[in-house]
Amino acid sequence: MNKELLDLAQWSMKTAKSAGADECRVSIQSGRSVEVSYRERKPENIKEASTRGLSVEVFANSRYSAQTTSDLRKDSLKPFIENAVASTKLLAEDPFRTLPDVKFYRDRAKVELGVFDAAYESLNPEDRHTTVKAIEEICLARGGSKVISVTAEVADGRSDVVLAASNGLEGQRGFTYYRAGAVMTLQDEGSRRPNGYHFVTTVAKRTLPGAEEIGLEVARRTFDLLGGVKIKTETLPVIIENSNVPRVLNGLIAAMYARSVQQKQSFLADKKGKKIASDRLTLIDDPHVVGGLGSRLFDGEGMATKKRVMIDAGVLNEFYVDWYYGRKLGWEPTTAGMSNLIIPPGKRSVREIMKDLGRGILITGFIGGNSNSTTGDASMGIIGHLFDQGAPVQAVAEMNVAGNHLEFWQKLSEVANDPWPYSSWRTPSLVFTDVVVSGT
Amino acid sequence: MQQLTRRSFLKTTATAAAGATILPVLSRDWLAFSAGDATGYFENGFGITDSLCRKVLAGALARGGDFADLYFEHTITNYLMLEDGKVNRAYTNIALGVGIRTVKGDQVGYGYTQELTEQSMLAAAATAATIASSTATTPAGAFIGLKTKNYYPLKTLLSEIPLSSKLPMVQSVNDRCFALSPLVIKVSAGFNDVQKRILIVSSDGTKVEDLLPSNFLFTNVVAEKNGRKERAGWNLGGRKDFSFYTQAITDEVAQTAVERSVILFDAVKPPAGEIPVVLGPGLTGILLHEAIGHGMEADFNRKKISTYATMIGKQVAEPFVTIIDDATLPGLPGSLNVDDEGTPGQKTLLVDKGILTSYLHDKISARHYGVASTGSGRRQSYEHYVQPRMRNTYMLAGPATPDDVIRSVDKGIYVQDVSNGEVKIGEGDFAFYVSQGRMIEKGKLTAPIKDINIMGNGPKMLNNVTMVASDLEMSRGGAGMCGKGGQGVPVGFGQPTILVKSLTVGGTQA
Repeated sequence: MNKELLDLAQWSMKTAKSAGADECRVSIQSGRSVEVSYRERKPENIKEASTRGLSVEVFANSRYSAQTTSDLRKDSLKPFIENAVASTKLLAEDPFRTLPDVKFYRDRAKVELGVFDAAYESLNPEDRHTTVKAIEEICLARGGSKVISVTAEVADGRSDVVLAASNGLEGQRGFTYYRAGAVMTLQDEGSRRPNGYHFVTTVAKRTLPGAEEIGLEVARRTFDLLGGVKIKTETLPVIIENSNVPRVLNGLIAAMYARSVQQKQSFLADKKGKKIASDRLTLIDDPHVVGGLGSRLFDGEGMATKKRVMIDAGVLNEFYVDWYYGRKLGWEPTTAGMSNLIIPPGKRSVREIMKDLGRGILITGFIGGNSNSTTGDASMGIIGHLFDQGAPVQAVAEMNVAGNHLEFWQKLSEVANDPWPYSSWRTPSLVFTDVVVSGT
Repeated sequence: MQQLTRRSFLKTTATAAAGATILPVLSRDWLAFSAGDATGYFENGFGITDSLCRKVLAGALARGGDFADLYFEHTITNYLMLEDGKVNRAYTNIALGVGIRTVKGDQVGYGYTQELTEQSMLAAAATAATIASSTATTPAGAFIGLKTKNYYPLKTLLSEIPLSSKLPMVQSVNDRCFALSPLVIKVSAGFNDVQKRILIVSSDGTKVEDLLPSNFLFTNVVAEKNGRKERAGWNLGGRKDFSFYTQAITDEVAQTAVERSVILFDAVKPPAGEIPVVLGPGLTGILLHEAIGHGMEADFNRKKISTYATMIGKQVAEPFVTIIDDATLPGLPGSLNVDDEGTPGQKTLLVDKGILTSYLHDKISARHYGVASTGSGRRQSYEHYVQPRMRNTYMLAGPATPDDVIRSVDKGIYVQDVSNGEVKIGEGDFAFYVSQGRMIEKGKLTAPIKDINIMGNGPKMLNNVTMVASDLEMSRGGAGMCGKGGQGVPVGFGQPTILVKSLTVGGTQA
């Protein structure tokens, strides 16, 4: 337990209660981050910082407010907290605002999450430069005469968080992250200069791919964008590449929050226990993945986390129910938000699937678009490749897919075997049939 | 930790659709005074003296470099929220810190700290200094305070407006929404206000302070009819004094949101594919923001990664197309007395009568091109690098009437509200999401439409603007935010009614 942060949290709670708060919850974060980018074989940006922040949630006379500050001097914090308590009392009463029942704090999993890389403290600063230079060189070599620009970047950081509440909660977590990648621009026909990119993030340095692997992937993805054109509007099977699945899945998840349901902004409000997707869709929220970027033993309200099957073979099983909206709905709380989202992988690779699909589009990126959590309507621009019998035919751009989530997810026909490991969304590529792709 | 590098997006948020008004005529006298109330804030409150600044700047230039600057920030954000009929939560955030930058050519070293002590600032300066590796350079011996015009004068600081004055306003939005239609089943509403104080001190001797307000009143309405639900939002605001928020404004926010939610029950889906698109006045200026604005930010052009990198001086649109990015419009979200590098706010012609005229420059790109900065250097906070960014982007009025534009279309769509957009800088491909509009059939507006994404290509789109009407309006919303490289800054939009002869409309009918 970080004693300095915990002591400050306890002092803040005491200050709030002395000022008239009935209960309070305090979160304090302390961290450090470094970023280094290279362009034209020299450093473009070097950035480094240590940060701290404190958040205090005040529960007073059945009223609620939340305050955050980066000014952690006690002589600033004291009036800050006192003002917060006084302001809270001016708000309307809300009987649903309480701290969670302490029973939900208990029974934290006994799991070593592996989200703090002990090697972080002994990082050699020169390693960052070595890695980022190597990524840039691979990109430049691969891009050859077509290269207009390459910016390679590495970043890393560590963070310690303490969470405490006046009804007995105490928790701490520390985590590290490492990010590496590059953005590459190539000369295409006319004025088009496709920008491709590839970035990976891990919690441990040892699981970060090597510079060569990253650089080659940046180049591959950028070359794949060359010659992108709009083709005619057509109904086709589409494959959404693993790292891009969250952009679509997010529209479904947004309707799975208790707040969306309680505020009548969820198209899934009455769908618990019902089929909302094809049998192929199973969605698991697993906070205990070793080395997972979303792993945690307690959530933002301090409730002990559990693995949950949110969607089981297309059937909606669970919502994300935080304490407050759970009380408003009369629902048992589950957890305040996502941890690691997992779609169990299928058996075949994207390449194998493409061979059997005939003519279709592999979606490798989205542009713009949005999703309406009240109605389920969604529409998004796409970038990708037209293929036929597994062979690439044409890069496509300036095209669009649209539909309603309740219909779209029924078209999920296969899940590939390639879960994306560099995010808390561990999603494999997904195959959908009969999708209208708008073009000319 | 999602990577947004080199791809930019813009969002006005679900609550942030915005109204529009005729561009106000300005009294120059009204603008001709300095932001005097900002002066001395950091020295008096935090002990930031000239000698301390000089010492920290010397640290930032200890290994050489072209220049260094300090960006002090103290921002107070308040957010009041109503749900289920009561203003029952409030959020406050205080951000205090300094960002220290050393620039050598187009290379940047950057450190920041939340502790405004000499020791912490010198440590951050030492980090920034690592970008250079030659002999020390010396900061200016004296700083000259820059006097600026004030495009967002305040009668009262937002921080001095008591909660008791804000609560009834938010409550009134809720009550008005329910009174306007029996179809309304849920209302959320809120008031967001930001008071940002900055001090910029540069090794070239520039010293300037500013006080930037940013605020908006918003609501989100859910209506239900025959078991079907629809949602719409609206907001009004900008860099406003609190006196802006009259009962008339409160009523307008409520009425517009209710009208826009109820009409959606009649919405139809347009056909998919390429069709003519008419953009109504005001908020639809997001089209310009995505299709040309980002591509004209000079960092993308000095790196040659923008589709517009070789087009300066070329005819890119019809002569009736003039596009401006402007920091000097009073009270708009993107207005700036001074940018985040200490360059006074100004107006920049991006396209002049169809000819691509100027990029948007910060100090780094201005030095690269050998021109003056256009005052476009912006950053989200002291934690962030400066980037060339848009402010308020709009197209000047043209010769047609709005009716002429609509009448000219046999079959197409009319775009009324846009919620968000995105562009790919190198390709010039862009998208924007239409939350509300109408079908156009035989020259007339017919059924409402909603929730469609529209795609296009910037240079092609500019070429395809075939009509521009006389009804220029600026969006009156205050919630518009532009994202770039992981940083969000407030921006404004404006546009007259225009016709783009062909864009790709996303739909479900092949």
